[in-house]
Amino acid sequence: MTRILQSDKLDNCVARWREAGLTVIGPVKNESSSSYAAVEKAAEFDFSLIMPDRSIKELFFPQTEPMLHYTIKKQRIDTSDFTPPPEKRIIFGARPCDASGLAIDDPLFGWDYKDNFWFQRRDTTVIVTIACTKADDFCMCTSLKLAPDSTKGSDVLLRPLQNNKGWQVEELTDRGRDAFNEIADLLQDGSGPAAPTAVVAEKFNLDACVAWLQNPENFESTFWREISMRCIGCASCTFLCPTCHCFDFQDEGDTYSGIRRKNWDSCSFALFTMHTSGHNPRATQSARWRQRIMHKFNYFPGKFNVNSCSGCGRCSRQCPVDMGITETLQAISTLPS
Amino acid sequence: MTIQETYKARVKKLLASGTVKMVIGYKPGTTADRRRPHFIRTPEEADQLVLDSACITNLSGYLLSEGLLSDEKAVAIFLKPDGIRSINILAAEAQLNSEQILILGFDSNDNQVTALEGEKVEEFTTLIESIKEQAPEALKNPLLEQIEGMTPKERFAFWQGEFSRCIKCYACRQACPMCYCRRCIVDCNQPQWVNTSSHTLGNFEWNIVRAFHLSGRCVGCGNCDRACPVNIPLRLINAKMAQEVLGAFDHFSGMSHTQEPVLASFKKDDSETFIL
Ligand code: SF4
Ligand code: SF4
Ligand code: SF4
Repeated sequence: MTRILQSDKLDNCVARWREAGLTVIGPVKNESSSSYAAVEKAAEFDFSLIMPDRSIKELFFPQTEPMLHYTIKKQRIDTSDFTPPPEKRIIFGARPCDASGLAIDDPLFGWDYKDNFWFQRRDTTVIVTIACTKADDFCMCTSLKLAPDSTKGSDVLLRPLQNNKGWQVEELTDRGRDAFNEIADLLQDGSGPAAPTAVVAEKFNLDACVAWLQNPENFESTFWREISMRCIGCASCTFLCPTCHCFDFQDEGDTYSGIRRKNWDSCSFALFTMHTSGHNPRATQSARWRQRIMHKFNYFPGKFNVNSCSGCGRCSRQCPVDMGITETLQAISTLPS
Repeated sequence: MTIQETYKARVKKLLASGTVKMVIGYKPGTTADRRRPHFIRTPEEADQLVLDSACITNLSGYLLSEGLLSDEKAVAIFLKPDGIRSINILAAEAQLNSEQILILGFDSNDNQVTALEGEKVEEFTTLIESIKEQAPEALKNPLLEQIEGMTPKERFAFWQGEFSRCIKCYACRQACPMCYCRRCIVDCNQPQWVNTSSHTLGNFEWNIVRAFHLSGRCVGCGNCDRACPVNIPLRLINAKMAQEVLGAFDHFSGMSHTQEPVLASFKKDDSETFIL
């Protein structure tokens, strides 16, 4: 029997989870911008957003984070590690594309080395996803073979009820079950009809795109220059993307002591590949845009068997010059492979 | 004929006659209210041209795309008055030769697009002078006044709150036609002059460095403000700095292609004993 969580009980749930020591996080909008942020009361959530402007990744992979403190002495270097706070969290109201993004990045952060900064947070965070009943012109999960009710990366999937008064609860993992057992008495038995999920038209043929990208002859195609001519090389697309994961190390301090930090970086920046000699193997913006597409749809799946894109569409939604993954893959779909 | 159609015909003629090698304009974007930069190299490509009040991006930064102007061939570009002023600045700062630029001027008010007379940047001088006249009024902003009424502590808290969202994507820099440095100070990493981390200090450093570097140079086109993915009100900083240089030095950016940059000029008889 499905259980139902009624909206008017959500505030009690938030209180209960907080009493149990969980930080409760969800979609929040302030006047000018939206993100997943910690709340104290259910009223702070904004479930009307298509999705927050900023993706969920910053909760697992912050834009800047200390890694170690170092002191350089005469004969040796002393270091002490920073570790993420062992805080338990529940993210209530993640979007399926955001939750999928985390699952897409798991193999990357755990491949040759287990990145504790990522996994400690992954292991102590419960992800409660709400299926989408609305989409906008930029959503493209279906083109990535995902859906507005994908369960990938989620611990619990909630389906909004047709009467808009709550959600059907679908527990997917033990972590999700534990979190919902905490509030079991606040749930109701039964299964009111769920609202239809959003209709997201398929925007491009992914298989055709991947085939084109895999053909080595297309690497030097003039297509790349044409499609990226208006790219201004900011990192808006990278930094808003739930799956882009590149980072840079920076030592901040003086000559003898300081903090080593891990900061977001982007393949859109010329500096990303600049050699000490001054030579830049990706000297043009088109080479950088090609890298972004190739990495997501050719190299990453080649290694991890999954595309590095969950179809949230933020890259196109927020691009200052109206570019993005969608336009590029749409254009590639129409090219002869 | 609508202004869009008149301009379309003109663009086709300019390209067909070989007067210019490229026209930089606008075409439809993903949604009905979006326009994309459009690089037109053949008369046929001009068919997609759009000119309406949704054409708001200042396109002048594209003129500095690597190699575009190096063959000395003329390029035409759609510009509003703020964009025209940025041509003056780029010329004054020796980034381009304004002789090479053919301006297709337009302005939009209340959803109405109007054509501006002239082709060469000097022909817009009277227009720019009248904009300078109106600047003290035009730069006024209720939120800015509210911020000025704050105590230094409150003001600091206000900006700390706004900058806390900065993710150092540098979209503001990349979108700005005045931010043309091949190597921005934040990218100089031997040594690293400015923290790249987007913590409180790093975000303040970045936004203050940019505000200073744009003082007396910003034309208020709004590219940075619109590009910022987390909606930091950069327009307030720009307006404030424009008011300051106007009040202190009677300097309004982009008046002519020979205008002296306000923060990079030096006079032997300067009344101040200290220069920045
Ligand atoms: S595609 Fe758009 S958001 Fe991405 S780097 Fe280029 S201009 Fe910036
Ligand atoms: S600082 Fe912003 S408003 Fe000023 S010229 Fe640059 S992009 Fe335009
Ligand atoms: S565009 Fe906005 S978020 Fe990006 S660096 Fe500039 S101020 Fe920061």
